[in-house]
Amino acid sequence: MITITINDREIKLEKPVSVLEAARSAGIKIPTLCYHEQLERYGGCRLCLVEVEKMPRLQTACTLMVADGMVVRTETEQIADVRRGILEFLLINHPLDCPYCDKAGECDLQDLVEKYGPGKGRFKEKKRKVPESLQDPVIVRNMDRCIMCTRCVRMCEGLQGASAIAVINRGGHSHIEPFSSGRFDCEYCGNCVSVCPVGAIMSRLHRHSYRPWQVKEQYETVCPYCGVGCTVVTQVRDDVIKRVIPKLGSTVNNGMLCSRGRFGYEFVGSKDRLSVPLIRKNGALAEATWEEAITLVAKKLGNIKSTYGSDAVAGMASPRCTNEDNYVLQKFLRVAVGTNNVDTTARTGFAGAQSFIENIFGQGATANIISGLANSDTVMVIGGDPTTVNPILGLQIRACARRGGQVMTVGEFEGLRIFSPTKLLPRQFTETFLLEGIVTALREKKGLSGANAPLEGKIKSINVTAADVAAKSGVSEKQLAAYVDLLAAATTFSIVIGKETVQSIGGSYKLLLLAAITYLANGRVYLLSEKANEQGALDMGCAPDMLPGYRPVAYPEFTKKYGAVWHAELSEKPGLNLFEMIEAAEKGTLRAMYVMGENPVCNIPNSGRVEKAFKNLDFLIVQDIFLTETAKLADVVLPALGWGEKDGTFTNMERRIQRVKKSVQREGMEDWKIVAEIAKNMGYRMDYTKAEEVFHEIAKVSPLYRDLSYEDIEKGENIYPYKGEPLRDVKEDIQIDTSAVSAAAGKLYLKVERPLFHSGTMSTHAASLMNIYPHAVARIGAGRAKMLSLTEGDVVTVRSKAGALSLFIAIEKAGDDLSVTISNNFESKGAFRLADYTLDQVTKAPCIDAVEISIEKVTA
Amino acid sequence: METILLKNIQNPNSADIAEYKKAGGYASIRKALGMEPQQVIDEVKKAGLRGRGGAGFPVAMKWTFASADPKFPKYLLCNADEGEPGTFKDRPILEKNPHLLIEGMIISGHALKAEYGYIYLRGEYPAAKHILNAAIQQAYDTNLLGENILGKGITFHLAVHQGAGAYICGEETALIESLEGDKGQPRIKPPFPVNVGVFSKPTVVNNVETLSNLPYIIEVGGETYAKIGTPDCPGPKIFCISGHVEKPGIYELPMGTKLRDIIYTHCGGIKGGKKLKAVIPGGISTPVLPPDKIDCPMDFVNMPKHGSMLGSGAVIVMDESVCLVKVCHRALKFFEHESCGKCTPCREGTGWLRAILGRIENGEGMEGDIDTMLAVSANMLGKTFCPLGDGAASVVQNFIKHFRPEFEEHIRAKKCVVNG
Repeated sequence: MITITINDREIKLEKPVSVLEAARSAGIKIPTLCYHEQLERYGGCRLCLVEVEKMPRLQTACTLMVADGMVVRTETEQIADVRRGILEFLLINHPLDCPYCDKAGECDLQDLVEKYGPGKGRFKEKKRKVPESLQDPVIVRNMDRCIMCTRCVRMCEGLQGASAIAVINRGGHSHIEPFSSGRFDCEYCGNCVSVCPVGAIMSRLHRHSYRPWQVKEQYETVCPYCGVGCTVVTQVRDDVIKRVIPKLGSTVNNGMLCSRGRFGYEFVGSKDRLSVPLIRKNGALAEATWEEAITLVAKKLGNIKSTYGSDAVAGMASPRCTNEDNYVLQKFLRVAVGTNNVDTTARTGFAGAQSFIENIFGQGATANIISGLANSDTVMVIGGDPTTVNPILGLQIRACARRGGQVMTVGEFEGLRIFSPTKLLPRQFTETFLLEGIVTALREKKGLSGANAPLEGKIKSINVTAADVAAKSGVSEKQLAAYVDLLAAATTFSIVIGKETVQSIGGSYKLLLLAAITYLANGRVYLLSEKANEQGALDMGCAPDMLPGYRPVAYPEFTKKYGAVWHAELSEKPGLNLFEMIEAAEKGTLRAMYVMGENPVCNIPNSGRVEKAFKNLDFLIVQDIFLTETAKLADVVLPALGWGEKDGTFTNMERRIQRVKKSVQREGMEDWKIVAEIAKNMGYRMDYTKAEEVFHEIAKVSPLYRDLSYEDIEKGENIYPYKGEPLRDVKEDIQIDTSAVSAAAGKLYLKVERPLFHSGTMSTHAASLMNIYPHAVARIGAGRAKMLSLTEGDVVTVRSKAGALSLFIAIEKAGDDLSVTISNNFESKGAFRLADYTLDQVTKAPCIDAVEISIEKVTA
Repeated sequence: METILLKNIQNPNSADIAEYKKAGGYASIRKALGMEPQQVIDEVKKAGLRGRGGAGFPVAMKWTFASADPKFPKYLLCNADEGEPGTFKDRPILEKNPHLLIEGMIISGHALKAEYGYIYLRGEYPAAKHILNAAIQQAYDTNLLGENILGKGITFHLAVHQGAGAYICGEETALIESLEGDKGQPRIKPPFPVNVGVFSKPTVVNNVETLSNLPYIIEVGGETYAKIGTPDCPGPKIFCISGHVEKPGIYELPMGTKLRDIIYTHCGGIKGGKKLKAVIPGGISTPVLPPDKIDCPMDFVNMPKHGSMLGSGAVIVMDESVCLVKVCHRALKFFEHESCGKCTPCREGTGWLRAILGRIENGEGMEGDIDTMLAVSANMLGKTFCPLGDGAASVVQNFIKHFRPEFEEHIRAKKCVVNG
């Protein structure tokens, strides 16, 4: 116990903290500017100087650690003088343009001067002038307002790990540079904006459009973009989201956001939003009333059902939609239509990988806390750059490296490059050999504990020599041994698996090998999740073989039980999965599809094939917020309310259920509401009046969410296994698909880029994200570009068996010469247009890592 | 007095190892390496050696702190970032007597059980870099550096790191930041470098002149050494005298030599028989003294009692032809240019003071300027992150304290009253 005295008040402290923290804990205010609770201490602004007995100089409270018996004074005449003096110094070069500075009203400097500052200044010299900079797509800089607290720099380097900015020059010429200007390492996260105490660095998105005090409403909700599920706060004025900010202390992201989360909200009010239903008349989509649209859908589905049977209808749920939306859609299909034909794009990787891992380690094995990653002593990353797919999870890995943890990768990940991970770079298509080598060596080092017999059985069958691995993969015996030594030394091990591994040939075998490594190193698995509610959609039973809460449809006891609650007889026949739906549509056995919040013509590999299959349907219903490529093919388009406009819940990759809140009022219906209206028209009553009622039913039906309420979630009782009921734990034999492919000399292969700035439908309607990354490009290694005489900005045709795309090229200095990288986020220009696939026999994920392509320059 | 630090530097080949050895060099090293590290520290303690960089901190105490830290490896850094205006005392050692420094560093390294040393060399000393590198190579070639030195089982590696021209890097924590490859800015203390220094390891930073005292201390023993100079500040001191004296230059004299004696006895008095106007006794950051205050013994303990500081021992002598507003302005231009920008009072205050002084010098002074300058420097003094800002503030305060009328006349006359 440490006892100190501040302003004659005794304060007892459990552990040594700074004098500032001690004072704040006792409610004693000490003004600060450069101090920020998230950042490394700095001691530069000098505003927190205090008197300490027995110390001749004044001390900065933010840097001085308490010591037993310390006597501190913070409110003396001398300290008041110091504060006045420091604030006067800060104001001499400050432009005092508060009337038109967007920061006014929430500016630390303004508030402090008002409270502690001098009444007037004595500065008669010329002020430093720096013109406003709009060089950056998302940030506006007014560097003459900068007070050199360096919070932005410490944020960028110390927490974000981008190191895109630093203090240039020195003394009075110090300034912060270079931000992005489109050329440097800026990740456009805007976390510098969060910590800037003045109006020097601000978001361009709301520039001069509102004053902080005009924000009457703000809502704590969940980011709509990726599976991390960051807490965001939407600030609203006149029913427009003016700004999205993080919240300090929030569990998942603790005050940090990525570019999508912070700057990607503009799709909400986009002028391209669908607002009225559309019905295809004479081959073209025409505006219609809700009544017409709903009646038509109900009638058509009813007809198809009675003519061809319930299984001629299928539905696609959405990882962009809430749990409530997804729950109602699958219920609609199972109850009103009578089919188990329901699936989501989670099938393209996340779903299969998760059930594979859970089959080995038990249900909930992938529900690991994201913030725990930073505390691992060793993190292994494979199959995707976490800093772009799940940026906030990526920050945890960077933090692990910064704390002295081992970050190890298989493959090269740009976002971790400056953290010098220990990496292995196997030759193309030889990852499996390398992983076998790791498993063999690690088993020899660590031995088997006998805890997991089925897995150990598999592990025992893996036996390769390091020499063989070296010959095949190009990873030397020495490198392999060093890597395995690090894995063997790990005490708190985590493995992060991305989609590239899942979507590769032999993906399930690789997952087995990775599970073996996890088991031998006694670690935890994190599966990267690209969409906000992939986990939730699965939990809600948006799968052809599972009812909500992962109860198999094939077990009559479950179908009976659920049927009793839903007042319907449920089909026990497992439905079609995503890929089977496409096949059935091609064959003509599937007649109608209901697509909610999804754009399969873009988001499913070999999208040309998907397009053709969809055109073959008798009736296509697309319910979305924009007229997507898929919606353009529809017979009926139903406009839905989107994120920010409705209430509900998302379940993130940690299996944390979180509340999504309505921030702005828009005319229209939520997805669940539209579906419920159609159900009613088909003679099945769904009388929900609000999302919460849907959730009540989920809590009643699903053993996974049993007895949960919105209040429970708000209170933080939202972590798996929630109120203590774990999932069923039926272990089946471990099946694997050991398909393999070998590289052909001179061939070019397709690689899918998963950019930091885009998700697809939402992000491509967010103007600021489009400014950062405006159109699809084909990224090509400098060597290959030279070989093909290509220069930056040339247009090329990229061709595969599945299709062709014409794209601008971007030359990557560090890129390899074996692949062309294309993102799948831009409609009609997506990598999936080229990606013909085979399915992994176990995970049912499409394997798209061996798509041969050719590239040729388009001459004007 | 027989010179110790500047011994043999008149010899044109004094930087060569053979010449250094001929003059008795590298004799102490055998003796030191035969002693236990603690014995070396004890000798230095007996010698009462204080750091010659400016602060005068007891060397043995610093070493004891670093020595007591259980972390290894430990580092010895030589601060050769001689940038204080008026100072050129380390330069003769670096350029003419590099082996003395190297020998001193090997002995210190042994005392600290440090196996790695760096000489952080001022960017503007390119000649010294070549000379030091050549000397280090000679030492490696003769097994005075490297592994198993002279077969005594002791390892010491030494390398030169050249700074990029920032005055602040003479401050030891900024020096460490710079050495690590970061922007040269002082660090928060504690932790002190003796515990968490370069690469987060225990680190001792000593000045060139300080380390160069080691061979002699080992040679004659601490007690004999302590007889030189004053009881509180023993040893020889290199003074570098510039400005209006007959014989400016470098003088090695005992600590505590009176400022008056330095100017009038050793340097032959004021040039051309003019009148002395002001003296800066220890480099630009130390308070200026008027002619009636120069009967002070030049050491770390006595100078503060006489209203100034020993600093680096860089004596700048100014005769009656000098405009002190101009000198003060020039000094503040320096501080503004060299302020690292980390803390508010120094970054903003130095520029503000320089601007006011510039106006006064240009004949644009205003009533109240002097009060403003005093207020600004009071707002800086004691509030800055490191002593750089204190130095700047005290320069202004002391020039005004001793020469206020000259400033007032400049403002009133709206021109320079000394040189028109």
